This record gives sequence, structure tokens and C-alpha cells, in this order.
Amino acid sequence: MKNRLRVLRAEMNWTQADLAAMVGISRQAVIAVENGKYDPALPLAFRLARAFGKNVEEVFVWEENTPQ
Amino acid sequence: MSTPYRSSNRQTQTFWAVLAIASAIDIAATWLLGRPGYPPYARMIFALLPIPANLVLLAVIVRRIRRLDEFLRHVHLEAAAIAFLLTALAVFIYADLQKANCVGPLNVGVAWLLMALFYGIGYAIAARHYR
Repeated sequence: MKNRLRVLRAEMNWTQADLAAMVGISRQAVIAVENGKYDPALPLAFRLARAFGKNVEEVFVWEENTPQ
Repeated sequence: MSTPYRSSNRQTQTFWAVLAIASAIDIAATWLLGRPGYPPYARMIFALLPIPANLVLLAVIVRRIRRLDEFLRHVHLEAAAIAFLLTALAVFIYADLQKANCVGPLNVGVAWLLMALFYGIGYAIAARHYR
């Protein structure tokens, strides 16, 4: 699964720590999601999308060849 | 909607304080049991002395884990799994070496230290994987 977290965060001029504090997660979690190393569960995906005022599909993009 | 993520200094201080107290009681109990001259009922009390503090430690750890976000819980789960399996492997290998008369009896304290060491290794591996 791909995501646009880094781009959206840059547009908002937020740091990883800012986003982490807003969503209520650790900075490590933001780094892992941004780098595509960790796919968040649905509630966290919604919270991240809502932080940018967007829908989940606008932030997270499903790829057919994503490993299970 | 979101639950504020808190890894406050107060929680960390509580954890280290309880760990220090529990460890001190463990050491004191071991020291008392090593001294002769106490009746059997007193020795039983010394042996059971560490239970309350260690139960409090367990509660503090569980509370800390529940306050972690989903990603950190994931990392700690991997670390715990690695520590559990590596400790089991080390203990089984040691038991076989004991049967082969290559080593002496296993000190339980060493097994605990190994588990802590393997947890640290497991955490490092998991954290590196998701970086």
C-alpha cells in the first residue's frame, strides 16, 4: 500500500512530530508509515487522513501487488 | 476520535521506580535465603516475598503496553517473540550441554538476564526493520 503522507505533510508544513501529536501516535509510527514500512490499521488510517482533511483513499493507495 | 499518545516522564519514572523496588526485594530475598539459622516458615516467607512487588511491576508494564500506539505495540510484540524463542533455545541448548556434562547447573538469574538481553536485541531488530 502506498501513501501520500510525506507529500501532504510537506504541503501543510508540518513536522513528523506535529503530525504524531495531532493524531495521537508516536513519531516512530509516522516515520514507519511514511516510509511504507508499516501499513496502519483502518482506525489509524482514518485518523491520519482526517488530520489532513482528506478521505482515506486520497492518502492511502491500494496496489494490487501489495504483499499480504 | 484520537487517543492522545503519551509516553510521559511520569510513567517512565514509575516503571523504573517499581523495577528498582522489585529488584531490591528479589535480591534481599535471595540474600536472606542464603543465610542459615532461619526456621522453615521464615524461609518460606522470604521465598514468597518478591511476589507482590513483581505483580505490581507486571501491572505497570501491561498498563504501559496498553498506552502504546499500534505501531509500537507491533514492534514490542516482535521483540517479545524474539526474546521468548531465543531464551527457550538458549535454555534448551544449555540443558543438553548439562546432560553432556559440559557445563554446571543453570542459574535462574542468568536465564532472566538472557531474556532481557534478547528482548533488547529483538527490539533493535524490529525497530530497524520498520525504520
